[in-house]
Amino acid sequence: MNKNNEQFWKQIIKKVRTWARLNSIWAVHFNSGSCNGCDIEILATLTPRYDVERFGIKLEGSPRHADVLIVTGPVTRQARERLIRTYEQMPEPKFVISVGSCSISGGVFEGCYNVGGSVDEVIPVDVYIPGCPPRPEAIIDGIVQLLASLKGDEPRKMARPVNVEEIPA
Amino acid sequence: MNIEQTLKDAEQFLAPWCKETFHPEVNRLDVAIQVDDLRAAVGALLAARWGYLSAVTGTDLGIEVGQLEALYHFCNGPAITSLRIHLPRESDACLPSIADIIPSASFFERELQEMLGFAFSGSKVSERLFLPDDWPEKVYPLRADFSIEQAAPVAGRRADELPEQGVVGGNTFVIPIGPQHPALKEPGHFEFTVDGEIVTAAKMRLGYAHRGIEKAAESRNWIQNLYLFERICGICSHTHAMAYSLGVEKLAQVEAPPRAQAIRELIAGLERVHSHLLWLGVAAHEAGFDTLFMYSWRDRETVMNLLEQITGNRVNYSANVLGGVKCDIGAEQAKAVKEGLTYLETRIRHYLEVVTTDAMFLNRTRGIGTISRDEAEKFGLLGPTARASGLSRDVRLEAPYGAYHHFPVSLVMETNGDLEARCVVRLKELLVSCFTMRTIVDNLPEGPLTTRMPRKIPAGETVSRIEAPRGELFYYIKSKGGENPARVHIRTPSLCNWVSVLEKAVGHQLADVPMLIAGMDPCFSCNDRVVTVNRPSTNETWSWKQLREYGIEFYKR
Repeated sequence: MNKNNEQFWKQIIKKVRTWARLNSIWAVHFNSGSCNGCDIEILATLTPRYDVERFGIKLEGSPRHADVLIVTGPVTRQARERLIRTYEQMPEPKFVISVGSCSISGGVFEGCYNVGGSVDEVIPVDVYIPGCPPRPEAIIDGIVQLLASLKGDEPRKMARPVNVEEIPA
Repeated sequence: MNIEQTLKDAEQFLAPWCKETFHPEVNRLDVAIQVDDLRAAVGALLAARWGYLSAVTGTDLGIEVGQLEALYHFCNGPAITSLRIHLPRESDACLPSIADIIPSASFFERELQEMLGFAFSGSKVSERLFLPDDWPEKVYPLRADFSIEQAAPVAGRRADELPEQGVVGGNTFVIPIGPQHPALKEPGHFEFTVDGEIVTAAKMRLGYAHRGIEKAAESRNWIQNLYLFERICGICSHTHAMAYSLGVEKLAQVEAPPRAQAIRELIAGLERVHSHLLWLGVAAHEAGFDTLFMYSWRDRETVMNLLEQITGNRVNYSANVLGGVKCDIGAEQAKAVKEGLTYLETRIRHYLEVVTTDAMFLNRTRGIGTISRDEAEKFGLLGPTARASGLSRDVRLEAPYGAYHHFPVSLVMETNGDLEARCVVRLKELLVSCFTMRTIVDNLPEGPLTTRMPRKIPAGETVSRIEAPRGELFYYIKSKGGENPARVHIRTPSLCNWVSVLEKAVGHQLADVPMLIAGMDPCFSCNDRVVTVNRPSTNETWSWKQLREYGIEFYKR
């Protein structure tokens, strides 16, 4: 086998991997202090009317099996550490979708004593879906945008990168 | 019995300890008592079976006054008696605990303890309720002089100091669940101690969704708060906004026009349908009955469409404004609502048949988590959870508000008290709601949608109670005459219902626990507190043979 051949197979494997990833996105949902509004809309996207399962998207219980982390709500003090931990438990490559106004900026809860602010201050975010709460169509659109961004050779990170702080053991 | 007579009775029962009485509103009696007389006074009301403890409100009256105030609200039909206690602010404000006479009071007491710095003699609990574990000691967020700088995390502590992994202790095992877990969509941490398959102790820690809304309300004006309170909970947002608007309107001595009241009730009815169908789906999902989950959520889209057509939003409808509503019901909407209701009624009847006849589902619900009427009363349960146990608690009937005078609902009650009864109560309630909504659409009063509201609300305080999909929602609103409320205290129904789950989980199989939790339709974002129920585990060791025999015996059943 020559070097060219090896490159060729690498290319093929990469293509298969991307194809598989795009058609079987497993998502884990984390509520970091949301009012439920976004959560019920996320659930609604899974049910017959919107049915994101036709895109191969499945809600998964364990972060260790998930490709996408869907975060709703402003990050409360108590949920912050858990959010980081959930993010760190996910295998690479991983993507984060931040759903709803509060997860983007703190929204109506800005300035509350137990609320830290936006999700992207805690973990890097790939897709923002605004709305209070966003409609299921908007959520689907966000996911489709994420999928479209993954189609290239290298997955493109869309958000500004933020350092994940070290968690004390 | 009329309100006056009921309140006179209460006054009579409380006469020996009463220092002063007021009548802040027609349906309220306010009795000032001394701290030491609290237990006796509460005992007297209990002995006379005068209502139930609905909420305990704590208020910091400010640095100038130098006092803290605790209000124990007892509700009996539309009548409310509040026991008012004043304590000095600086020294340790110590109240006697009444948790041993009224178990549901323990949550209320722990809330006061943490948010305002009350101490309770006779109460053993010292764990954090809903503030993070790294919150500094002696900093109370609802005190008047609280500033966010004081709340800086304590070095060396974590925000939630909870076990990550199961702990073996003797012959038991502690299973930690959450806060991120697949069963529920909201964050909560549970620790179930199991002996084999049987739960011997249950503990939970909430606070992951605690945002500090009551404090935030004090710095926002009356109109901004309407939108803030809608976002307490996305599922019952209209109920929160409605309770708040009704309260503020009472303070301003303004009444929303009849058409607005009727539309409020209509939207509340639609919200109940959406909430209960959502719950039915989640409960079915917990039982492993995903087909029912998908069907009920499919049908729920009908009601979401109606809500969207009327208000423009699917969730957080913002239908209320202070003094009325924003949206009207035209001929087109009326037609859509009636068509939607016809479809929903057939579907709800079908679900009623499913939950009472499907053998697999019944295995998971019949006889599980049974709560007797006495227990329901003791735990202070509310809403459908109480009504499934034969305890008739429904604010819409006991103390009709808004348009419920003109468009009343009928009481739905079951007596079995198990999970099946809770399913049946909720579904039957929907049929009643559908009937009432149809009446409203057919007989919508003519007239304007809003009335003029003053920008500043006159000083005063009021209590606004509403039947949310999950039970009685309690708002205490206090105004000092400014543009902001001086204090808003919210007691949500889930808080009162939690105790039923944790008490009932003990003795059940671990596999039943998700259903038990779903059975009360918990709402984490509404209430965030911690509850512990501990039972001594039986220190009996089973041999493998015994265990095997037990297993064979068990599956024979």
